[in-house]
Amino acid sequence: MTRELIIIGGGINGLVTATYLAKAGVKVLLLEARDVLGGLSGSADQMPGYRCEVGGCDVGWLLPDIAAELQLDAAGLELVSPQACVCSPQEGGRALTLWADPARSAEEISRFSPEDAHRWPEFTAQVARFAAVLEAIYAVAPPHVPDPNGADIGTLLKLGLKLRRLGKREMVEFLRVAPMSVAEWLDDWFKSDALKGALAAGGITRIFQGPRGAGTAFVFLHHQVGRPAGAVRGAHYVRGGPGALAAILANVAKGYGADIRTTAPVREIVVRDGKAIGVALETGEHLAAHQVVSSADPRRTFARMVDAGQLDPEFLRAVRNIKCRGAVATVHLAMSELPSFAGVSEEALGGAITIAPSLDYLEHAYDDAKYGAVSRRPYLEARIPTLLDPSLAPAGKHLVTVQLQYAPFHLRPGGWDERARSEVSDLVVETLSAYAPNVRGSVVGRHVTTPKDLEDRYGLTEGHAYHGELTLDQILFMRPVAGWARYRTPIEGLYLCGAGTHPGGGLAGAAGRNAAREMLKERRA
Amino acid sequence: MSATWDAIIIGGGHNGLVTAAYLARAGKKVLVLERRHLVGGAAVTEEIFPGFKFSVFSYVVSLLRPEIIRDLDLPRHGLEILPLESTVTPLDNGDYLAAWGDPDKTRREIARHSLRDAEAMTEFGRLMHHMAQAVKPILGMIPPDPTSLSPRELTGLLRFGRHFRDLGAERFHALYKLMTMSSADYLDEWFETDALKATKSASGIIGTFLGPRSPGTAYVLLHHYMGEIDGSFRAWGFAKGGTGAISESIAGAARRFGAEIRTEAAVSKILVRRGGTSGVVLENGEELRARTVVSSLDPHRTFLQLVGDDHLPDEFVSDIRRYKFRGSSGKVNLALGELPNFTCLPGMGPHLRGAVSISPSIDYLERAYDDAKYGEFSRSPYMDIIIPSMIDPGMAPPGKHVMSIFVQYAPYNVTGGWTDAKRDAFGDAVVDTLTRYAPNLKQAILHRQVVTPADIERTTGLTEGNIFQGELSLHQLFFLRPAPSWAQYRTPIRRLYQCGAGTHPGGGIMGASGRLAALRILGDGR
Repeated sequence: MTRELIIIGGGINGLVTATYLAKAGVKVLLLEARDVLGGLSGSADQMPGYRCEVGGCDVGWLLPDIAAELQLDAAGLELVSPQACVCSPQEGGRALTLWADPARSAEEISRFSPEDAHRWPEFTAQVARFAAVLEAIYAVAPPHVPDPNGADIGTLLKLGLKLRRLGKREMVEFLRVAPMSVAEWLDDWFKSDALKGALAAGGITRIFQGPRGAGTAFVFLHHQVGRPAGAVRGAHYVRGGPGALAAILANVAKGYGADIRTTAPVREIVVRDGKAIGVALETGEHLAAHQVVSSADPRRTFARMVDAGQLDPEFLRAVRNIKCRGAVATVHLAMSELPSFAGVSEEALGGAITIAPSLDYLEHAYDDAKYGAVSRRPYLEARIPTLLDPSLAPAGKHLVTVQLQYAPFHLRPGGWDERARSEVSDLVVETLSAYAPNVRGSVVGRHVTTPKDLEDRYGLTEGHAYHGELTLDQILFMRPVAGWARYRTPIEGLYLCGAGTHPGGGLAGAAGRNAAREMLKERRA
Repeated sequence: MSATWDAIIIGGGHNGLVTAAYLARAGKKVLVLERRHLVGGAAVTEEIFPGFKFSVFSYVVSLLRPEIIRDLDLPRHGLEILPLESTVTPLDNGDYLAAWGDPDKTRREIARHSLRDAEAMTEFGRLMHHMAQAVKPILGMIPPDPTSLSPRELTGLLRFGRHFRDLGAERFHALYKLMTMSSADYLDEWFETDALKATKSASGIIGTFLGPRSPGTAYVLLHHYMGEIDGSFRAWGFAKGGTGAISESIAGAARRFGAEIRTEAAVSKILVRRGGTSGVVLENGEELRARTVVSSLDPHRTFLQLVGDDHLPDEFVSDIRRYKFRGSSGKVNLALGELPNFTCLPGMGPHLRGAVSISPSIDYLERAYDDAKYGEFSRSPYMDIIIPSMIDPGMAPPGKHVMSIFVQYAPYNVTGGWTDAKRDAFGDAVVDTLTRYAPNLKQAILHRQVVTPADIERTTGLTEGNIFQGELSLHQLFFLRPAPSWAQYRTPIRRLYQCGAGTHPGGGIMGASGRLAALRILGDGR
């Protein structure tokens, strides 16, 4: 029997697409390779008694429309954003904490630079305005550029109007800032190294560039989308963790009649005469379908799952050129007690704990990676999910999830062997201990995920969690590749809905929703 | 007091002279004021050591707009461009990579290193040619103001949009990638030979404070491809008599059209009354009246020094303050008793008539950048070397030679500042590095002139010694150069215009800024 539509991959984007299509009455079958849903949001129980998630505990921004349109609240979704956004410990026992409340942040900043504290409210206001423009851009499929069609003109005018509403000066400022380096941009605003370091970290998240690389200001703004005005960086949590979001979506999808199969790894997307006609599983089982949607990253989808003979060489070349230089290793630490940073309250640990004391610190960290080494003094982003949900660890114990950058996928020499991975977890413990000395003694368990693991176990090309870096040449109408930014592909009946498409990673389900809406538009047409 | 001049041009650099020539050609009464004893700004030839002439700063030309050469009839005023046909990159293994004037010879040479690259070369050359074609019209376009709703601006924007639409999707996307990618990433999509990628991306980092892996450098790569002719590597030319001869020929044209050029006439102040300019004051106190004043100096000098904040809107002042210069390059000019003998290509040969590029690998360039990021000059710098006396014997005494070495990185804000000791250490690093490839160089040196960004600033007035009057980074291009809504050669001061490389399209001996400014001024006059 030929199914109506098959979705490959049960990550958040795949699940969102499945739910939207099922809700519209499409008969959907979703196939997930692993035994749990959620992709990187899937839970990874490696340390007995501790429940941690490979991708960390931050789900990223969930477009409010998704929660509303799919009534996720009724299904048990509870979003939590802690008051503490970023806590950045400094050498010498000081720490800079940024809060959702700009006044409270300014107070903290004034201990480092009264001048910067004075500019803080103005800065956060501008950031919020710019993020709002991106939010509007992210909720629609990218128009055809440079030659928009009829429907696009409407979209473009709407976005253009949104941009104009910023006012003449802010509009140009947005166009000026987006392609800048986050370092140059912050230098225009602030004096304090501590502040600039803590902020710039948000501009290099999962990109193989230092804070002086052009376009990192955009990356910073990208991660600001959906933050409450005044809050800079910080976390998007879901009660129960990202895995819970996946479970909720799965239930809603099933409620609409979607069919979900786990432990069903897809080996091949079967294409005949340039049209997708189904998939073949690793088990050899063939599943026929009229349409196939892949939430796997574009390079994996086309370079591994589709017979190259079916693809235009130019297109395949463009796909192979997508930059997916994984640079982050995740280390979960099971701890007998909370890390104690000098002068930092427990409340301040509720958001992201960032080891990024200055711009130069981050730039040096990148220098090592440029030549294929793990940063000797890495940028760390630690989160403590047990502060929100104690049930993730045995009573009184804590789970600390640390993302280390830069840990280059292409590690020289030797690559990611056992020694390299244990060195990474040592590096995390040592680096944290330099700021919170009790860490060294209270680690009772470790779990390391290197970029290589992400590729081997989760199918992420070069271990890039965002399915491709968010560099200026790989966003908007260029994502995943020029000319194919609308979730369609050169293969008739084959679509993309993952983070490799607009608007990219770090946003829960935005790509999946856009993809579903494009496909439904097509069906109505 | 009534104006003596229709237009006074501040600064006799090539852009100032081009503006002067175009205005004079249109019948305007024009006066050019140059601080130094000779015109040319950063495009000057000077006899630094008896008998040895140097293009002290800017040393090659490829971007000079053909319409300017035509309109001003420059050859008639002595302009003669001699081709620099080859680029040779010595490799650390004793071999070399060469690009010759003849594309087929170049392809054969590249095939020695990689067949794949030799094949890619043809298609790459074609694409670069198309890209250059796509960008050239923009170089001749006054940037529209995206914030204005005036019909004139909207039509400008429309024309701009149509230009891209007419490119077709494929070329537009290729251009977009060039604008946003790093030259290293961009070239990785095409080639595998490290030295080839390095030498190509080298042209992408010239004059910037970026490394080959920094996004935005692929565009500068194209900027340096603009002068390219018939798919050869990069067709640079050398002006007979040095780059000063280019300035002289433009000055000659300006004079013929009736412009007056005064040297050793430093401007200390631009007169502003009720939001408009009425002329300038010289350092000797002399007041000169003009209906229009045009500054070819960079935005910092023009607005923060000659006009002064109090006459300007606060927002504009802060825009100009944050405009980035960050000079990153220096020059070492050598008088040689004998020709350098390169280990990879011993003895005399055609390679000595072209450029020699010290850019053995991407990592080499990137490490050179790393030093500069933290306030040091590169211990092993990137160098672009030519031997002008091989092309134009008039540059040196018989049997002797001059060597021009462009060096990156030499950060303006070097730790401890540019002391004489630091300058010498920089010069030594350059000579030592080059001696690794041409062992006889050291004893061949008769005289040595080391030019740091601080020297460039002191001599030419270029702020922070930036050779492009401000970095050509994405956020300082087109309608953002030098400041939002002031990218059209006008200024917040009525009848005060800017015509230097600090305006669109910026750097290189191109003259486009000077020409567009003149057109804007003549247009406004109507």
